[in-house]
Amino acid sequence: MSANLETNKSFITLHGIGKTFQTSGTSVPIFENLDLTIQKGEFVAVMGPSGSGKSTLLNLLAGLDGPDTGEIWIAGQRLDHMGEAARSAWRAHHLGIVFQFYNLLPMLTAEENVELPLLLKPIPASMRRERVEKILDLVGLAGRGRQNPARMSGGQQQRVGIARAIVSDPTLLLCDEPTGDLDRASADEVLTMLGYLNRELGKTIVMVTHDPEAAEVAGRTLHLDKGVFIERERVMA
Amino acid sequence: MTFFGLTRKSALRKPLRSILLVISVVAAFFIYGLTASFIAGSQGTAAASDDLLGVMHSAGRSQPLPVAYLPRIAAVPGVAEVSPITRLRGSVRDERNVVAVSAGQPDKLLAVSGRDLGLSQSMIDALGAGRDRVLVGRALAEAQGWKVGDRLTVSAFRTKRRDGSRDWPFEIAAIFDGKSASTDTYFILAQYRYINEGRARGKDTVSTFALRPEPGVTPEELAPRIDALFANSAAPTRTLSEKQFLSAFLSQYADIKHVVTLVVGASFVTLLLIVINTMVFALRERRFEVGVLKTLGFSPSRILLMVLAEALFIFLLGGTIGMGLARLASLALPPALGLVFDPGVMLRAVALVFLLGLVAGALPALTAMRTPILSAFRTR
Repeated sequence: MSANLETNKSFITLHGIGKTFQTSGTSVPIFENLDLTIQKGEFVAVMGPSGSGKSTLLNLLAGLDGPDTGEIWIAGQRLDHMGEAARSAWRAHHLGIVFQFYNLLPMLTAEENVELPLLLKPIPASMRRERVEKILDLVGLAGRGRQNPARMSGGQQQRVGIARAIVSDPTLLLCDEPTGDLDRASADEVLTMLGYLNRELGKTIVMVTHDPEAAEVAGRTLHLDKGVFIERERVMA
Repeated sequence: MTFFGLTRKSALRKPLRSILLVISVVAAFFIYGLTASFIAGSQGTAAASDDLLGVMHSAGRSQPLPVAYLPRIAAVPGVAEVSPITRLRGSVRDERNVVAVSAGQPDKLLAVSGRDLGLSQSMIDALGAGRDRVLVGRALAEAQGWKVGDRLTVSAFRTKRRDGSRDWPFEIAAIFDGKSASTDTYFILAQYRYINEGRARGKDTVSTFALRPEPGVTPEELAPRIDALFANSAAPTRTLSEKQFLSAFLSQYADIKHVVTLVVGASFVTLLLIVINTMVFALRERRFEVGVLKTLGFSPSRILLMVLAEALFIFLLGGTIGMGLARLASLALPPALGLVFDPGVMLRAVALVFLLGLVAGALPALTAMRTPILSAFRTR
């Protein structure tokens, strides 16, 4: 099975995923034999009620948690077999994450927050600065790099978060409720930005959301309920 | 931004807490700098000479020796020069303003102590120009505001004059600076003849004989030869180098090095507990951020190094300021304290900074390294 998955053309393949949490001595199964494939360059929205397993799915895709059973293949690499250090290196090179509450470091300026992932790469400081400026310009925050994120609006902070997620040019972007803390106007700006990153820069995006309007931006929407994809709807042309 | 910049910003993210932490490190290293300088100065004997010997009564220096010993000591093989010294302690103007007077033979003083005290022939000539003339050390002259030509009267505590008075008038002939800044110059050099002839009791006795060995002769080989001469006399002697004498004198009170080591050790242990406790709490507040960094791809080992570097940064900053202040204090404090801020003190401080930084950072760093990302995210 592994050899087949390895040679599979899908960018992301989850096969036979099982995941159970232990809560106060009780086993709570989240996934049982879950399968999923996502092609390179797809923009997939994952929706579902609370407790359906959306965040667990995202954590598995990000290598923040491992499955009890099954295999996770991303870009030809088997994630569930990697140790913690290898998963860190994998995230640094292949993954960008956008959080609901931005998760920016408060003691750093916007540009320093964006620069963080680049510190893990052998890039000279001048090139890092150049890259950060370019990305801040891309997300519409040119000239605001020296500002502390705490003094920015929610929408601007989320754009800093997106800039940080894409600054190292990852192939996969995972978004955890990226518009969940924003007003409609700011949410639309962020969604437009994600759409642009998918269409123009070819980023593969998996976005967990409760917001149906957000899901509209995605090319495919998956509905999770009790750890099972209950339908697969609307694949945009 | 660099990793150092990130470390610095993380370490200083709560300015008040960081300042208090740095101040505690500054205080500990300031104490260390001073005490280590004191020990490096052989507990106040740094300025004391190792090739200047004193011959005193074996029962203690309060017991006099006959001046008649002088030619016998001078005749011992290996003795280059010897001067009789008699000491007088008293006060000037105010009884709390205590001064010490060492009286010797001017020409012998130059030969025996000239190099260490920075005496010159012209000073000795000026001293010998009048019976009551004295040389005053720079530290004492500056403290009292005295200058050459001034007259002063020392009211002796014990040494009475033949007329029953305790007042010994002197005229300042010159001021000597000492060989180096750490030389004790807080005393007066007078003439033995003046004191000896003027005192009511103890005539023709000395407090000690100061002698300089011939080149190549060590105090260890010369001292037994001298002491053997008087071993069976009514006034047996004990010969020590100036450094040995001061060390023995100080150790009468306590093992100063041991006391200093305990004090410094206690202050560093306290400091370690404070820093570890503060850093553990600081890191607990930042568990979420550690989770974010790990999510961005910062490996566990990199997180470990970053937290260790934060602790090191605090210790480097505090240690540098503390040792800098200790250095300034060692320059500002009276040379009589014998503080020697040598490279050895600095090297040990650097080693301590790294050792304490690593020890203080180890627990929070290991905790941060082992924190699972999802567990860190749950702390928000």
